[in-house]
Amino acid sequence: MMRAVCSTTALAVAISLAGCGDPDATSRGRTSVSVQLNWVPEPEFGGFWQAELDGVFADAGLDVELIAGGPSVPSAQLIASGKVPFGIVSGGELLSINERGGSLVALFATFQGDPTAIMVHEASPWKTLEELWRSDATVACEANLPFVTFLNRKYGGENLKLVAHSTALANFVNDPTLAKQCFVFAEPVTLELQNVPVRVFPVLESGFNPYTAVLVTTREHLAANPETCRAMVMALRRGWDGYLADPTKANAAMAKLNPAMSVEAMNLAAKKQRFLVEDETTRSHAVGWMTGERWNTLAEQMNSLGKLEQIPDEIEAIFWQPPVDDGPMAPALEDSATS
Amino acid sequence: MRRAVPRIAVAAPPIAVVAATVLLWWLAVRTFEIPEYLLPTPGAVLEAVWVERDRLAWGMLATAIGASGGFAIAAALGIAIGSILGLSRFLERGFYPLTLLLQMVPLVALAPILVVWLGYGQRAVIASAAIVALFPVIANTLGGMRSVDRDLEELFSLHRAGLASRWWRLRLPASLPSIVTGLRIAAGLAVIGAIVGEFVSAYAGDRAPLGMVIVSAMREYRTDLMFGAIGLAAIVGFALFGIVNFGGWLLLRRWHASARSSSD
Repeated sequence: MMRAVCSTTALAVAISLAGCGDPDATSRGRTSVSVQLNWVPEPEFGGFWQAELDGVFADAGLDVELIAGGPSVPSAQLIASGKVPFGIVSGGELLSINERGGSLVALFATFQGDPTAIMVHEASPWKTLEELWRSDATVACEANLPFVTFLNRKYGGENLKLVAHSTALANFVNDPTLAKQCFVFAEPVTLELQNVPVRVFPVLESGFNPYTAVLVTTREHLAANPETCRAMVMALRRGWDGYLADPTKANAAMAKLNPAMSVEAMNLAAKKQRFLVEDETTRSHAVGWMTGERWNTLAEQMNSLGKLEQIPDEIEAIFWQPPVDDGPMAPALEDSATS
Repeated sequence: MRRAVPRIAVAAPPIAVVAATVLLWWLAVRTFEIPEYLLPTPGAVLEAVWVERDRLAWGMLATAIGASGGFAIAAALGIAIGSILGLSRFLERGFYPLTLLLQMVPLVALAPILVVWLGYGQRAVIASAAIVALFPVIANTLGGMRSVDRDLEELFSLHRAGLASRWWRLRLPASLPSIVTGLRIAAGLAVIGAIVGEFVSAYAGDRAPLGMVIVSAMREYRTDLMFGAIGLAAIVGFALFGIVNFGGWLLLRRWHASARSSSD
């Protein structure tokens, strides 16, 4: 998904002038927090809506505002600068922004399997990602993302023509030879419902598989509000458990906020993303669970690709998660009283 | 008798303003400890430009080609359309609102469809630049055509001058100062249009245009490189503006006060 250019200067000045302040506030006996999403309401955020609709956030003492993102919303900078206490970024973004002065900490990794993929028309000659990458095809993608560099290193890609990526699907539909970056459960689903048959090559099959749609906060916010962060993660786990059991209610709510995606498309997408949310690790621990080994692998891969100058000294410091058997959710008010 | 202004007096104010701005920028980053992912120091930007000089030089060239192509089309079409609309109030009333649409249309929303129509690469970039740059040329040409001296118009009528002769010998020269003003505005806009077009239609790689470099740098939180690329895009705009300014001066210097005063 393309995150286009934002007014960084304006953002920086606004932060400097306004100061960061305490992003959490207490209202109606609950701690008010906001979550900056990095895209519009879609099934990748299903657990948030489920937690809201089932009253799980309220039970946890949280009053959560979900802020929709979009192609021009600088989610990672907004979170890193303390303008919002929580937000969604990719694993690679977390490492990159921390290397440039940020202090993000991962709390919950929605996707254990990276949903990034390349799609081609079903009638196209390419049967595998490797075949495509070794061809002279035109691929619309974010060419500087780590996965593109990874694929170039692995498969060559000297003859590929990489072009700008936008969220619009019209040029892909119109051009039977074009390949396009996508999320396995997003664009292909939209096209499937429009009777445009496509073949999808998940990038994770190549060996590059970062955590994606990661809930993060800043190290400072976590240190000052550990109970709020704990309550948020515990509530999100319950939200995702509920969404995986039956996503229809949350999908209906999200479809009202995102008219570009029908309830039918959301239900289909929820089915297709399930295998990326759940795996052995989440089954033995909890949904959203992260391991130091996975973070270390990503840091090493990004370092070897030239996307990260240094591997963080303490990989354990870039993620935090409450234990699975952390008891019942405690109301998050203690933090706001002390912060 | 007017005395020539010393060159140092002409150059000093802009240099002082730029130097003060850079100093304030540096001080702001240091004082408020603004992290690099939000705002880099001027030194970091210069370093990024130096390190990535080959890529950025190719980027500047590609963007300059796209912007110049769009500007040339906008100039030719704008002068032609402005001249035709200047022929009658009926035509002006009928078509001017349509040309106004060009000014109102959000190019960021239109750019993706240009890729569908024209494909990836420079064609969509040139079209994007031309769309943004067209309106000021039309508006200023039309304004120039409408402000031709009525006495001179009547003199041409007395001599039964034809439409082409009247346009070539009277209206176009009389409109030139206004047209040059329109072209100056269009020069800057063409670069903006080209960059927006590049966001959605450019080829990636070592020779990618500045728009693509900006998007990639932003995606990687390389604000130093992003600011450097934005600065270079502004230089492309300045260069195009300078060329137009020089061309305008060549055309107007012998007879129009605006060019004479600027050459003093």
